[in-house]
Amino acid sequence: MIKYIVRRLILAIPVLFGVSIISFIIISAAPGDFLDVLRMNPAVGEATIKALERQFGLDKSPIVQYFLWLKEVLKGNFGYSFQFRRPVFELIWGRLGATLLLTITTMIFQWTIGVALGIFSALKRYTWTDQVLTVIAFIGISIPNFFFALLFLYFAAKTGWFPIGGIISKNFDQMNAFQKFLDYLYHVFGPMLTLGTAGLAGIMRQMRGQMLDQMNQDFVMFARAKGMPEKVVIFKHTLRNAINPLVTMFGYQISSLLGGAVLTETVFGWPGMGRLIIQALLAQDLYLVMASLLLSSLMLIIGNLIADILLAWVDPRIRYRFM
Amino acid sequence: MNEKKNVNDINKNIDELFEVEYLSRWRLILRAFKRHRLGTVSFWILVVFYLLAIFADFLSPYNPYEQSLTTRFAAPTKIRWTYKGKFVGPYVFPIMGYRDPVTYERYYVDASEIAYVKGQDSNGKSFEVEVGKNDVEKIVLMVEKREKAIGEKGEILLKRSSSEKNMIAINEAELIKNGITRFYDSNEDTIKIYTRNPMYSYKLKRVGNVKQILIERILKSLMIIKKDNNVEIIDSPKIEDFDFKIYRIKFFIRSWHYKLLWLIPTDVHFFGVDEPAKLYLFGSDKYGRDVWTRVLFGSRISLSIGFVGIAITFVLGLFLGGISGYFGGWIDEGMMRVTEVLMSIPSFYLLISLRAILPMDLPSTTTYFMLVVILSFIGWPGMSRVIRGMVLSIKQMEFVDAARAMGFPAGRIIWRHILPNTATYVIVAATLSIPGYILGEAGLSFLGLGIREPQSSWGLMLAQAQDITVLQHYPWLLIPGAFLFAAVLTFNLLGDALRDAFDPRSLGQ
Repeated sequence: MIKYIVRRLILAIPVLFGVSIISFIIISAAPGDFLDVLRMNPAVGEATIKALERQFGLDKSPIVQYFLWLKEVLKGNFGYSFQFRRPVFELIWGRLGATLLLTITTMIFQWTIGVALGIFSALKRYTWTDQVLTVIAFIGISIPNFFFALLFLYFAAKTGWFPIGGIISKNFDQMNAFQKFLDYLYHVFGPMLTLGTAGLAGIMRQMRGQMLDQMNQDFVMFARAKGMPEKVVIFKHTLRNAINPLVTMFGYQISSLLGGAVLTETVFGWPGMGRLIIQALLAQDLYLVMASLLLSSLMLIIGNLIADILLAWVDPRIRYRFM
Repeated sequence: MNEKKNVNDINKNIDELFEVEYLSRWRLILRAFKRHRLGTVSFWILVVFYLLAIFADFLSPYNPYEQSLTTRFAAPTKIRWTYKGKFVGPYVFPIMGYRDPVTYERYYVDASEIAYVKGQDSNGKSFEVEVGKNDVEKIVLMVEKREKAIGEKGEILLKRSSSEKNMIAINEAELIKNGITRFYDSNEDTIKIYTRNPMYSYKLKRVGNVKQILIERILKSLMIIKKDNNVEIIDSPKIEDFDFKIYRIKFFIRSWHYKLLWLIPTDVHFFGVDEPAKLYLFGSDKYGRDVWTRVLFGSRISLSIGFVGIAITFVLGLFLGGISGYFGGWIDEGMMRVTEVLMSIPSFYLLISLRAILPMDLPSTTTYFMLVVILSFIGWPGMSRVIRGMVLSIKQMEFVDAARAMGFPAGRIIWRHILPNTATYVIVAATLSIPGYILGEAGLSFLGLGIREPQSSWGLMLAQAQDITVLQHYPWLLIPGAFLFAAVLTFNLLGDALRDAFDPRSLGQ
């Protein structure tokens, strides 16, 4: 197992290099230069700009620049954000918590409820409950998350049941640890619901389909013929086989989750990475963009790796083939 | 009875067998598709959507770029059918803006001109005036407004003002009928507005603590404006009957110029009302532009971007996937590594980064084209990987060997022999990936990175609703989102139906 993980991690390194090269090409192709903002600022002297240019090797060609940047990154220095006037690493670190809070709660929400409803729907197949769930799933898949977020905000504003944005309440500092935790949950509910619904509906549909496929297999009939209790047939035989294709979904759900988060964060004023990268792109904050893209790709790669490990864990056929 | 039913069943089965045996594959697919009720319904809804988009300018009463600052954030216009209890067909009243003196909130009320009035003047002489008859051009009301404060020791007049009113709110009809209206306001905030005004503080001392504010409106006189500026004044009239002017919804009305189907210059629109009335089916936005009109114009972008994007993605995907799968070797290796790298950047992040390459202030057509290119660029890696996989398996088939043995060039084998076999997958995948393009464009425009004002797009229109106070007070700005949702939903259902229809198991073979 460890050998497999290490091999996958080693394989991820060239991909990350590729990502960094592509990001660099994209950013270098953008018109203008991020120092333009500083050049316009009368408070910043000529000497400072020259020094900054030299420090980041901006007076050199893009290829040399790239390798200089790479050298710094390997040393652990991700550069300096011009817009926020702080080191990139510090900025992203500050935002990472909010993004992880949002994505992880969303994932838990999607997977627990999605899988449960999928199984339920499959067990009740062709009844009205199943049909209602199918309709809800189609609505969930199709509703644009930012539109859903706006609808939720409208609802929250009208009823006053939910906060209309932000991550903590005003009196957060006076709370004790448990209240703080509840406050986070209270604030994360809206973004989580609007970001997670599409994925939840997808998981539910997939789970239902897989369950129905597996329930028609011979081994299920055999298990029933053996006289096994229905519970064991469903949860031990059918579910174990039906869950495998879903585990692969786990990987690419991360991509849509991170992307959707950009929009959800904007609507809810959630201080996560999605909003950071938009601000960075608009201001041509080179190193911030590079680091955000790299980090989000890293998250995606790790997510895929976790999905593969999970798959190997739940499916012995794969475990024996690859490990 | 039972026997008859059985015969019917047998006949039906025979038909079924005949169809399965003799219909062509495409007819069978069509047959399977028609059985999918949700799919067919979605198909027709989409047809309606596309017709709306094509005839957007004909169907919209207003120019999508025309601002009307007197009617900003107007609610959807109320369409009325009956007047004084009688059915008269659809009509509307113009709207008049007010500002709440306490909250400074702007709101609109339906108001209209007086078209007909009948009554007696102060001398008891009866009169009857109708606009358009006897050279009468307009009937104007002279209204006096008295603001009074009611305190512990009686009431006092604070302010007296009079105004000429061309338009009168429909809910103030009482004023005309009775000649006076009284409005008592005991709201603390309203009272404060008066009591804190230094101009009234001296007067207010005489009545003590103010309990209520009374606003009286008194109809002083009627001004009847006739041709050549002849004015007749009827003082303190007693009105027996009157009519508001109603603005009927007219069909095939002439207003702004456009080119029907991008070809025929015309100014005929399907429906509309005369000025100063406004017909806002879905309300108006921040700049007083008609939301219905802008939804229609936005649909042109949202509904076309999917097809154009798909076309580019599929040509790229088929081409690169085909080459990669057919030739294999280092071409394949290189291509797959590139797709891997591109696919490991979260797609929306890649999308916004690519958008950042382009300058923000491009002309609208260029922006549209660039958006399509960017969206297609995001789609091709996934597409070409699937095509490559399919090509890898198809190229093992005998007919490919045969084609090769006949000495056909590789390009011909790929395009004519291998890729047509992926058609089923391509059609289904295309339908199912159109929503991605629609949402991509909408998301970018929502963030202000896509289509920009004054152009219209569903995502851009939703961006106006981002402000929580705007959202709370003017919820009709969410309507474009409903259209976005409907378009995505119907494409998803259609794709689902197509996937079922193309599935060999559903063809009955």
